[in-house]
Amino acid sequence: MKGLVIWIRTAGDSGEAVLDELGAEISGRGGRVEVFHGHAVENLGMEENSRAKAVACAMLASHGVVVIASGVDPSGLETGERFALREVSEQQLLDITYRNSFIRDLELSGLIPPPALDVHPDEEKEILKRLREMGYLDED
Amino acid sequence: MLVAPHGGRLVDRQFEGLEAEELIGGLRGCRSLTLNARERNDLEMIGNGAMSPMEGFMCSPDYHSVVDLMHLASGPLWSLPVVLSAKDGDPEVSPGEKVALVDTSGDIWGDMVVEEVFHADLDMEAEKTLGTQDPAHPGVAYLRSLSGHYIGGPVRSVRRRRTESFPNYRLDPKETRVLFRARGWNSVVAFQTRNPIHRAHEYIQKCAMEIVDGLLLHPLVGETQEGDIPAEVRMRCYEEILKDYYPSTRVAMSVFPAAMRYAGPREAVFHALLRKNYGCSHFIVGRDHAGVGSYYGTYDAQMIFDSFDPDQLGIVPLKFEHAFYCRKCDGMATSKTCAHDSEHHVFLAGKKVRAMLREGVMPPPEFTRPEIARILMEAAAQPAGNSNAGTGEGEGR
Repeated sequence: MKGLVIWIRTAGDSGEAVLDELGAEISGRGGRVEVFHGHAVENLGMEENSRAKAVACAMLASHGVVVIASGVDPSGLETGERFALREVSEQQLLDITYRNSFIRDLELSGLIPPPALDVHPDEEKEILKRLREMGYLDED
Repeated sequence: MLVAPHGGRLVDRQFEGLEAEELIGGLRGCRSLTLNARERNDLEMIGNGAMSPMEGFMCSPDYHSVVDLMHLASGPLWSLPVVLSAKDGDPEVSPGEKVALVDTSGDIWGDMVVEEVFHADLDMEAEKTLGTQDPAHPGVAYLRSLSGHYIGGPVRSVRRRRTESFPNYRLDPKETRVLFRARGWNSVVAFQTRNPIHRAHEYIQKCAMEIVDGLLLHPLVGETQEGDIPAEVRMRCYEEILKDYYPSTRVAMSVFPAAMRYAGPREAVFHALLRKNYGCSHFIVGRDHAGVGSYYGTYDAQMIFDSFDPDQLGIVPLKFEHAFYCRKCDGMATSKTCAHDSEHHVFLAGKKVRAMLREGVMPPPEFTRPEIARILMEAAAQPAGNSNAGTGEGEGR
């Protein structure tokens, strides 16, 4: 799968949860995810600035990782053929309909894997019961 | 593990029970658009995920991309338009308006948020998707009955199990997927049919069963053209043959609620993609699949699959020849496996079979099992609609 940088505009410290939720959604589908929190670049031994952060995002994404980051300098995100870039605002991600549509678009574009389950476990129990009643499956 | 749905995720925009009542209650005061029989079938299949990744009737970017390039605007392969036509008497709707979707009796079957109303060149659509503009072609005749304006937008659908035909055979894609997993099937072959089962079909299905875990018999019960054998008769034939001739643990039968479009090769791809959403890894494509008259070449519906990347398709087409009983081989065969002249083959033209059944003459057991022939003879004796019961033409359509 091609790498991806999701650049989230305006996410300050208070918006870090948005990054984490999006990261959990994608990693739950089996995607390789790196969420860039405030001090991520320093932890990598690089000077903390938005340009350095963007370069680090690009390096990871060019190896197939889905990188979710805020506060980057877009000039450091030259995608070329190496990875895709999607931009979204913190406010947009807080709107559940927009968020689902954004994730769906990533999925249809082949940038993130589809959900691991096509049927929720609770619904699966109901379906199994119905399949038994209809005669498709033997009673337990 | 079962194959992934087309586009990666199974769409679920279907509501039933209390949720459906709420949906319908929320449409009070909304204007309504009337669905014809095909659109009603399509709404059901968008809602239950059979048409994943589609979430509504097509807007112009998807429509043009599918007609011209056989891909949705977002990328996935898709071979036929799925559209809602504006009709005489419908209100003039505007983008952003929520409308109820009703049948000709006024019953609500879902809703749509109108995204676009657009004009379409229906002659162009006919030429590109059906390969002809001949009004004698049932698909062209259908298009000629439309206004030329389509209304696109995301839909939600209502399911009412109690009023459905074949209620014991109605399985949505997520239900077939749960069924396949419960039976431990990873690879499943689907057999599409709008004909009763003769020995030739049985042979092809069983050949396919040798290489997969299970068979999904998926008779089409949506709208067909006048003269096609009624779904009730076809279902009775299948129920009968399943009793004694198939291992019950390796076969499941469910109905496929799509309308026939008679689009030949493009419809073969459409049928395959939808079966992928039901969880099938393989799809049987006979000669002249979804054909009508002589509009398509015998192998067109098989060859079209060669023009796609297997990963784009995500379901394996199994291409079969007409099968027959060969007296020299003493068994079922096709031209691929039999070395003998046609004089040794038991193969009857559809016209002859129809005449035999009408006259109460049993076709040879090498062509049709007697249990099936009896059902077809009984149906052929009915006054209207069933007069062609028993055609052996177009296996795997």
